[in-house]
Amino acid sequence: MSRIIAQARKELTQLVRDRRALVLALAVPVAQLFIMTSGISLSVNDLPIVVQDLDRSAASERLVDAFRSSITFHVVSWPDARQPEEALMAGAARAALVIPEHLGRDLARGRATPVQLLVDGSDANTAQLVSGYAQQVTRAYDSAEHGGGAGQVLAAVRLWFNPGRSSTRFYGPGIFVLVLSIFPALLASLAMSRETGQKTILQVYVSNISAHEFLLGKIAAFVVVAIAEGLLLAVVLRADFGVSLAGEPTAFLAGTALYLFCVVTFGTLIGAAIPEQAAAMQVVALFGYLLVFLLGGLIFPIENIPIPLRWVSNAVWGRYYIEIVRDAFLRGGGWAAVWPQIAAIAGIGGVFYTLAWSRLRRMQLAV
Amino acid sequence: MAATFRGVSFDRLRALARKEFIQIRRDPRLAMTILVQPIVASLLIGFALNATVSQVRLGVADGSRTAESRDLVSALGESESFHLVGGYASSALLGTALGRGDLDAGVLIPVDFARDLERGRRPTVQVILNATNANTAAIAQGYAETILEDYNRRRRLDGAPAAPASGFAPAHSGSVQLQPAFLYNPGLVTSWFIVTGVFGLLMVLDTSIVASATMLRERETGTLEQLLMSPAGTTEIVLAKFAPLFALMCVMIVTVTAVLRLAFHVPFQGSLGLVWASAALCILCGIGIGTVIATFSRTAQQALLTAFFVNPSLVTLSGVLTPIEAMPRWLQPVTVISPITHFVTIARTALLKGGGLAELWPHVAALAVLTLVLLTLSVWRFRKQMA
Amino acid sequence: MAAITATALEKSFGTIAAVRRIDLSIEPGEIFGLIGPDGAGKTSTFQMLAGVMEPTSGEAAIFGRAPRDARAVTGYLTQAFSLYPDLTVDENISYTAALRRVPPATTADRASRYLSRFGLASFTSRLAGQLSGGMKQKLALACALVAGPRVLLLDEPTTGVDPVSRREFWSVLAELVADGLTIVVATPDLAEAERCHRIALMHLGEIKETGTPSEIRAGLGARRLELRTPNLSEAEARLSPVSSDGALLDVQRVGDRIDVLVRDGREGRRLVESTMHAASLPITELHEEEPLLENAFVATLRRLGHEAAEPSWPFQHARPTPAGDVALAAHALTKRFESFTAVRDVTMSVRYGEVYGLIGANGAGKTTLIKMLCGLVAPSEGRVELAGSHEGIRSSAVRQRIGYMSQRFSLYDELTVAENLDFFAGVYGVPAEERPPKRRWVLEFAGLEGRSDQLTGSLPGGWKQRVAFGAAIVHEPSVLFLDEPTSGVDPLARRSFWHLINRLADAGTAILVTTHYLEEAEQCHRLGFLVAGDLVVEDTPTGMRRRQPGARSLEDVFIAVVTARDHQAAGTEALA
Repeated sequence: MSRIIAQARKELTQLVRDRRALVLALAVPVAQLFIMTSGISLSVNDLPIVVQDLDRSAASERLVDAFRSSITFHVVSWPDARQPEEALMAGAARAALVIPEHLGRDLARGRATPVQLLVDGSDANTAQLVSGYAQQVTRAYDSAEHGGGAGQVLAAVRLWFNPGRSSTRFYGPGIFVLVLSIFPALLASLAMSRETGQKTILQVYVSNISAHEFLLGKIAAFVVVAIAEGLLLAVVLRADFGVSLAGEPTAFLAGTALYLFCVVTFGTLIGAAIPEQAAAMQVVALFGYLLVFLLGGLIFPIENIPIPLRWVSNAVWGRYYIEIVRDAFLRGGGWAAVWPQIAAIAGIGGVFYTLAWSRLRRMQLAV
Repeated sequence: MAATFRGVSFDRLRALARKEFIQIRRDPRLAMTILVQPIVASLLIGFALNATVSQVRLGVADGSRTAESRDLVSALGESESFHLVGGYASSALLGTALGRGDLDAGVLIPVDFARDLERGRRPTVQVILNATNANTAAIAQGYAETILEDYNRRRRLDGAPAAPASGFAPAHSGSVQLQPAFLYNPGLVTSWFIVTGVFGLLMVLDTSIVASATMLRERETGTLEQLLMSPAGTTEIVLAKFAPLFALMCVMIVTVTAVLRLAFHVPFQGSLGLVWASAALCILCGIGIGTVIATFSRTAQQALLTAFFVNPSLVTLSGVLTPIEAMPRWLQPVTVISPITHFVTIARTALLKGGGLAELWPHVAALAVLTLVLLTLSVWRFRKQMA
Repeated sequence: MAAITATALEKSFGTIAAVRRIDLSIEPGEIFGLIGPDGAGKTSTFQMLAGVMEPTSGEAAIFGRAPRDARAVTGYLTQAFSLYPDLTVDENISYTAALRRVPPATTADRASRYLSRFGLASFTSRLAGQLSGGMKQKLALACALVAGPRVLLLDEPTTGVDPVSRREFWSVLAELVADGLTIVVATPDLAEAERCHRIALMHLGEIKETGTPSEIRAGLGARRLELRTPNLSEAEARLSPVSSDGALLDVQRVGDRIDVLVRDGREGRRLVESTMHAASLPITELHEEEPLLENAFVATLRRLGHEAAEPSWPFQHARPTPAGDVALAAHALTKRFESFTAVRDVTMSVRYGEVYGLIGANGAGKTTLIKMLCGLVAPSEGRVELAGSHEGIRSSAVRQRIGYMSQRFSLYDELTVAENLDFFAGVYGVPAEERPPKRRWVLEFAGLEGRSDQLTGSLPGGWKQRVAFGAAIVHEPSVLFLDEPTSGVDPLARRSFWHLINRLADAGTAILVTTHYLEEAEQCHRLGFLVAGDLVVEDTPTGMRRRQPGARSLEDVFIAVVTARDHQAAGTEALA
């Protein structure tokens, strides 16, 4: 036990003395969180639209006004001489509303009048949003025009857990998990591969410290650092993005502690396997960003991942933690909701530890 | 002494360039980076990242249990957008399921649903959405409202009571039938947006990482000193480093294009030449970025750490995976300084929409300017280091 | 019971045999030297003895127990000390002690004792990375001693350390052994070997000879004659053919004298005198000495057939500059970095045809000075004159006439030997028709004929150095900079290097060599001692020795000079 503490203390001392590493440990994750949470969003909040009004009746002008006064769209002017598609091609607008010649007359006659909406489909997700929002605007227009008609069903939409439709409330926790998955692993792997690469580990071998003590000492040190990072990130999430904990936090805390153990052990494992620091970093980056980001459901839903890849997703540790985090920040379900995820993380962490230990077990040069 | 041009000796240049080529050829990790990693990354990202909202898990609590309400429920169930998980006896149970995460959406049909419809009133159906993911919620909302709209329209055509009981006189009884036509991507394939973004990402970021490593390799092994002691001038050394790198990374352009076409069936509506020329500019930008990072770092490890900060930020701020218009207003102007932003716009407009220089010249110009700035900066830094 | 034994110990890494069946028996309380160049297998042997590496076959034992089980009583100082540079002196000690489960009270007690003995007591909160080479070595030793070992394995503990610290280090070792410790030292330095009780000469994984230094020297059955004459190269040429018939065993030019190894003192003298007389060469001085360990090692290697090739260098171009002119000069050169001054007001010059040796420990400023002389680093003050140029020393024309071999070698590991040579030939503009004979020469010199397609990275250190040397002279420079060209190389190879250096100098090349091996310094025409950035004394080797009557070696001179300087500095401080 004393050796574990001595090992941990040495690691922390080294880290604190290395200014660049400290910046990496504390400032860069916060900066990343800030930039990515601010920048990543699928919810386009400003949709430019051009309108070609071939009717110019009172009714059509009211329709154009409906779009003009909506929050989501803003109407951009486009010369009549040019085709509306050109606006889409040039990227000046996301959609073009083409109001046909006899709209006013047809509506007055009680007909269901088709109005074409050209949508830029290159960004499929935004295209769907555009289509949906446009439908809402025309429905509201219809309601205003003729009271909506008798015997029609109205929809009252309630948004749970995120009534403000805030993107940051969804992505913020995701980026939180991403950053916590990468930086502690990076630091741990760098420290470990530096030992093996520069051969300072020879003195460790000569001292007959056991592999468990050595590993646990290293892991403990970086878990402490990771916890500091996590606290800092949580503060930023709260202060800048208004994302804070909902409900009782003990499940979240336990899950976080286990997850950080898992992540740091992963980094240590990579560092032990790859004595060259630049290469170790690339592997951590590969696994970190690629797997956790892509397959962990951090930004894009897991359900959309094709089935064969989804199996891989089940082995990705970040996938379970993101559910714990989302629950903690948005739903507040607590232990009942997330104990399976906590168990999964503990399991994966155990696997990593076993692998790392078996790599170091001999405490000798492996040639 | 053989031919020289403004002090640059071709013999020396040839010897230097040949050495670079041999070094690159013998570096196993480089082959990985140029060939394997772009292919794997584009495939993985293109297939795994999908914002598509389909098969939203829906639960229904039908308080009415009449023909009309079952009609509505089956309309919801038959749609491709929703996956009807099941019926719930009460709104409380529906709420619990939603809270537990078993459902993404719930529909509550009130008890008086059918009666209200018959009497020409307008019953309200509650649509509850799990808005944790705002994007999914917005799209699911769109689906739900469209289905309700269709339901209403069918009722009108089938002769629902036309005259309201309240004597309300409408201005007209027509309605606008919005008909969306999705241009350029009628099938709404989400991967096209993403893989064109990845194209830009790979061009700039991969090159930047390879460039840093190449620039630093000499310094780390100590051979830089030897080079500096030789008659080779800094221009020759810089040219000899940049040119082979550029040539090799251009191979990546072809591989990624192949993946886009063969694996994702991205259409090539417009000029591929324009896209490739822009990609070449991106590679030069990447070389510039990588060199600048290398000159600020003392070891390959430090350069990678800097890249760890710069690269994800660039990706976020360039509209690679998520649209720029979704960023907060204050952040949007920043995207202009990223070469990836411009390339991605060029790629998407040219490949998917068939646009050409007429629409894209501002982006091409911006890309050219950025390339010039980055290359000048990097050459200047490199020289300063060597002097 | 023997302290350390090794029986038929072997270690192979894949196809490379690092240690081939060695046997050792080291008694308690002795200082045992494992002597050999780079690649001899010393480090691998130590790693097996320390229990951090499994042998391929054979056994080792420390006080009768397997090395892995005996780790508690073994101390191991690796090359490069294995200290943590970002931890303080105190933190390094307490970490090592904690690893070894030494109780805190014992740690404190031993630490204060050793730190004050080594003069580190006032540096406890200094970062290990900021200590000088000598202090680092002492700290590493202190860390090893805090655990109270019975056996100490020291792998090249004094490489690059200044002679004063080196001497202190050895006196500490003598004290430790008196306290009952058993010490094994690995070193390529034959002069250090003299300080051990017993030594084993190791080469290419095998132990060639074991015994006390005097036993080994006596085993030669020879005497060494020192001959001084103004016409050294001619004398060497005349005497060399005579050595094959058995009376003259070896002839070697050492700086300003020739060492002749003879079987019988009187007989040898007569032979030398008659040969010199027959060639009308004057003898300035001729006297008899003990043979050196180096002679013994060389004789052993020769016996085993490891002769180094010495093909004649295919010079193509006539010397444009006359010998005697100044090739390279420094005037009041100073280099200041943020926190300290690396080089202080150095003035020196080297002429064409001269070999100048710059001597100093690591960190004395040799590398900085040489970089300023080359034009790689701009001086803070002063100026440099190089190949006749003052301002334009960075121009292509000047660099075309300079050759440079850096300490860490200058070859590309990923390129084959041939590709490296082609690269250097290309970059230095060697005309196409000259390249094949020169390439052949380098391969022959390096002993790599027929292996030109071997990857440079796979060559052992000594061979890479030979190729690097060849690459540095492929364009026939008139000024040559060699930064530690023979560190870690075996004695035979070192001789062929120096033969070549001498021949190049004879042909008019100005050569600046840096080294921290004082024995090698004997080979130079003139020497400059650099201590903490100051050029404290400059003279020929003989002149140096005359300045300190009673000095038996250049090392004695160096230590005397440094000590005097320290006293002077202390004196002026006291006065101030």
